[in-house]
Order: sequence, then structure tokens, then C-alpha cells
Amino acid sequence: MRLWGLLGRSGVRLLLARSQGAPAQTVAAAAAGGNRGRWCFTVRHINDATWWHEHLSEENTQFLKKLTAEEYKAQTENKLCPLKDEPWPLHPWEPGSRRVGLVALKLGMMTLWTKDGKSHFVTLLQVQDCHVIKYKTKEDNNGKAPALLVGGKNGSSFHRDESSMEMFREAGVPPKQKVTTFNVSENAIIKPGTPLYAAHFRPGQCVDVTAKTIGKGFQGVMKRWGFKGQPASHGQTKTHRRPGAISNTRVAKVFKGKKMPGQLGNWYMTAKGLKVWRIDVKHNVIYVNGSVPGHRNCLVKVGDSRLHCYGDDHYKNLPFPTYFADGEEKLPDDLYDEDIFQFTEPSITYA
Amino acid sequence: MAAACRRLLELPRVNVVLTGACSIVCLNAKDGEPAQFKPPPKPVIVDKLNPEVMERRFLSPEFIPPRQRTSPFKFFIERRDMIQRRKVLNIPEFYVGSILSVTTADPYAGGKKSKFVGICIQRPGKGLSATFVLRNVIEGQGVEIRYELYNPLIQEIKVLKLEKRLDDDLTYVRDALPEYSTVDVNMMPVPYSLTDEVPVNKLKVIMKPKPWLKRWERPRFKIQGIRFDLCLTEENMEKAKKWDMPWIEFDMLKEYDTSELEKRIWEEVNRELKK
Repeated sequence: MRLWGLLGRSGVRLLLARSQGAPAQTVAAAAAGGNRGRWCFTVRHINDATWWHEHLSEENTQFLKKLTAEEYKAQTENKLCPLKDEPWPLHPWEPGSRRVGLVALKLGMMTLWTKDGKSHFVTLLQVQDCHVIKYKTKEDNNGKAPALLVGGKNGSSFHRDESSMEMFREAGVPPKQKVTTFNVSENAIIKPGTPLYAAHFRPGQCVDVTAKTIGKGFQGVMKRWGFKGQPASHGQTKTHRRPGAISNTRVAKVFKGKKMPGQLGNWYMTAKGLKVWRIDVKHNVIYVNGSVPGHRNCLVKVGDSRLHCYGDDHYKNLPFPTYFADGEEKLPDDLYDEDIFQFTEPSITYA
Repeated sequence: MAAACRRLLELPRVNVVLTGACSIVCLNAKDGEPAQFKPPPKPVIVDKLNPEVMERRFLSPEFIPPRQRTSPFKFFIERRDMIQRRKVLNIPEFYVGSILSVTTADPYAGGKKSKFVGICIQRPGKGLSATFVLRNVIEGQGVEIRYELYNPLIQEIKVLKLEKRLDDDLTYVRDALPEYSTVDVNMMPVPYSLTDEVPVNKLKVIMKPKPWLKRWERPRFKIQGIRFDLCLTEENMEKAKKWDMPWIEFDMLKEYDTSELEKRIWEEVNRELKK
């Protein structure tokens, strides 16, 4: 590749050189209207020198894409009945148990109304191809609790290193765009390869949602910390959005953690204790109260809320260790919280 | 008896048109044999009094998704709920400039219901959270109420007068003389056709003296419905042209053609509503 590039470059240079010392007739032919000078153009190189671009034709790429899609589909269908496929033993729920969570796609926001006529803005989280990828024992994880790695949204197997591909191959699932770790209790472990659904959560419960916030870049103190800044006029010279004093002469140092300008956003944040209003079982959508960090179409980590205010009773009646689509439980298309107004009902009246 | 006769007379008259030549048995002069009998063709009945006219195609603007990177699936999910609500509550066709009466459930009103009549001045929002603003002047006091279109508290939406105005946003009537936003509370509904084009009211309003809520003469508002000649001098209008950006309409990056999308969504909504 490098050789070709060199050759190409030298070729271009040759052409240029020839144009500079060109015979009069060619120049005259090229610029008949007048002496416009150089008539030769250099080719702009696009940086597409990967192995794929070199060795695969356009048809080959299309074929590979088609093939991988079929392969992913077959792999997913293979795992659709985890309860019949030598499942790991299922344990009942106990106080203090911790379930696994999901990886979901943030779709956007919309409005829902409760039966007393109040509107609530909710975030739609779609669960796409969410699978358990790997089980980590207590010793492998942190010595305190075992962990389950969960992945969501199928990704490309191209441009991916061998060690991570090995993990997906062992689980027998397509490679995922996002993989997260959930620390679970010993009785809540699930066999890798098990698909997870939105019905894992139930309306009325509270969840924690973790995602990377929208990056705002390097920002000053007014935007980053909400400082008031300085007045616009009254003799201010070049001091309008500055922080002012950052310490005093007596302490003679700047305290650690002083609020100063810096990077804002593009870090992981958790919105805690968001109520689940509604679950769309058919399309795998979770309707979560309020806003959630991250931009639209970003992948978020959703788990049972870890706030202490919700006791064990809050999680007692949830599917444990998870909801199995091939289990005995048959669910309607939509699950609603008891307070939520369903759009098939007649209008609310205060009689 | 007379009434019955009149009713008989008023029955829609049907014009029968016989097409094709009349081919009853006729003798062929050459052979002297009767030609083969041909049954007369069926008469084509054309009802000229009630011509088959398609009902006006109307898609509520909140169904058209805004131009952004949100997945179309999200709008599909939202549309499902909107259609469900529309099956329960009849949300009629209306535009900015139409006169509506809205009845909502209200725990503090006598009879637990409150009705408001006014002129629609805005229709912002997309999807389930779409809203509209009604304005009226009651006892000399301007009143505006913003209703959520899909709010379950709404009991009834009635169009008293269906019409469009010269602009898509009538917020400027706040700065116009109060007579332009005054609507009779006990107004009787004006009948309107379901098939014809929606009439456009070319009324131009007279403004109160400045200061206004916004500088409506600026080109970015593109306002047609104000008599600027009565409230501003020519010099003022010339000054406002300083903010004119005539190249914006040629910006191809800002083009958003929704006709295809609209057609698809209209078909989907109609199909679901008929189910």
C-alpha cells in the first residue's frame, strides 16, 4: 500500500514536472483562451487504507454484511427458549437479593397522564437484543459479589479485537455495541446467552438509569457551576463571566475541589429512583418517569433502584431472576401502572 | 299531506343516461333475416345532484414528525396512543384562526365541567404533547388557555367556525385591538363543508400603538395579517428590512419535504381509525 502511495505521489510529481516544462503546443492546446498556467491537478487522497478496503470489493462487502445479518438472526433464534436449553438452577427470591439489569436504547420523551388528570413527561427506553454475555464468579469480580455482564444492541464484528469476540462466541450471541456489569446476588445468576426483555421490570417499581451525559466541552464557571458572574457595566473591565476570588491570603492556598472552569458533560451519571409507569411487552419499551442522562439513541444501563428508601418489599413481586419469554407467565401487550390513564378508557370526569 | 308531497318532490332526482346505440330487433334489409338479438346495455346511472366527491384529506399537524435524528419507531409508538385517544374522543379538523369551544373536566367548577370559547392562535408541539391556544376577551380582559390536545380531561372539542387566516401563528392578536380576539361565548356553530377547500379569512388586523410583544414588522415573522400602514411609517418599515435574509428560502439544507411522509402517515392513521 505504502509502495503504491509512493508511486502515485511520484507519478503526480512527474506530471507536475512535465507540466512545468511542457512543450508549447500542449500548453497552447490546454489554455487556448489565454495563458492560464497549470492545467494538471493533484489527486486528493482519502484515508481508506484499511485491510477491508484493500482486499474486499464492493460486492464482497455487501455479501459479508448480508451473511452476518443472517448469522446474527440464527444465533438470536437459537437462544429464544432458555428454559428448555439446560438452564442453570433457578432459586427463589430472598430478602437482600439483587437482580440483573438491562441495556436499553434511549428513544426520546413523551407525555403520559395519570387518572387524576396530571401529565407526566416520560422517557422511552427500548430493549434491543439484550443478552447475558458472561458470568463472573465472586473471586473473579471483586471478592464481594458475583457479576453478570450484559450486552445490548447488536454491533459489527469487524474492527473488534479477538479477546472480546471470544467472549461473545462463548456465550453464542452476536457482538454487542455496549456491555455493562451488574453485581448480583448468588441466587440471581443466569446462564450466559439468556435473552433479557423489558418485562424484567414491572410498572410501579423504581429503577436507576446510568448513561454518559451530553458533552458540553470546556466551560466556564457560570455554565458549569451556576456562578453569578459580574455585572455587565458599572466600570467592569474584562470581568463579566469570571469566577472572582478563588481563595484568601490567610489560608494562602486553593482548596481541593474548588469549583473552577473545566470539562462539562460527557461523563457517566445516574438518575436514581425513576418510577416505571408502563411496559410495552410486545415492542420491549420501558416508560420511565422524567429525564434520563444521555442523548437520543444512546445506550443506557437500567437496573433496580439502589436507593435505601425502597425496602425489600418493593422488589418482592418482580420476576426472579428475570422474565423468561418461554416461561409460564403470559403477559398482555401493555402493562400499566394502576395510576396511569389508558388511552382506551373514556375521558376523565369529576362526578 | 303537503309536507309529504314536498318531501317526495325533494327526493334526489336521478338522471338515467342510456349509453350505446339502441339495438332492439331490427330487420336486416339485405338478407331479410332478423339480426341476432343483442340485449340492451345496462343503463349507467349518473347522479348529477350528489356527485361522488372525496372527503377533504386532512392530517393533523402533530402527526408529522419534526426533522431530527429520533428513530421513526418512537413516533410510531406515540402515534399508536394518539390513534387510541382519537377513537374515544372526536378531535375535529381545525386550523389556527378557527373558532373552537372546548369542554374540560374541572373539579372546582360548578357542575364539574368548564367550557371555553375562543379563537385558536397557536398550534405548537408534536406527537402526544401537542397543544393549542384559545384566546378570547371576556369582560374587557384578554384570556388565553393552552389545552393539551390529548389530555384525558378534555370532554369535547367543537369547531364553531372553520377557517384559516393569512398566518400560521396569530400571537400578534395580543397586540391588536381587542375586537379582533373577541368571540361571542354563546356563538352558534357555523355549518361548513367537508369536501370543499377550507375558506381563508383575509382579514388584516389593526394594531394598538407600540410597544408590542415582539417587533412584528421584522421579516422573520413573515406576517401578512397586520395593517402596518396604519401603525408604522414607511421609514420604520425600511428599517425593519435590515433584518431580512432573502437567501434563507434558497437554503437547501433547510428543505424538509414531508409530502411522502404525510401520505404514509395519513394512510396508517385512517386504516387504524377505521378498525
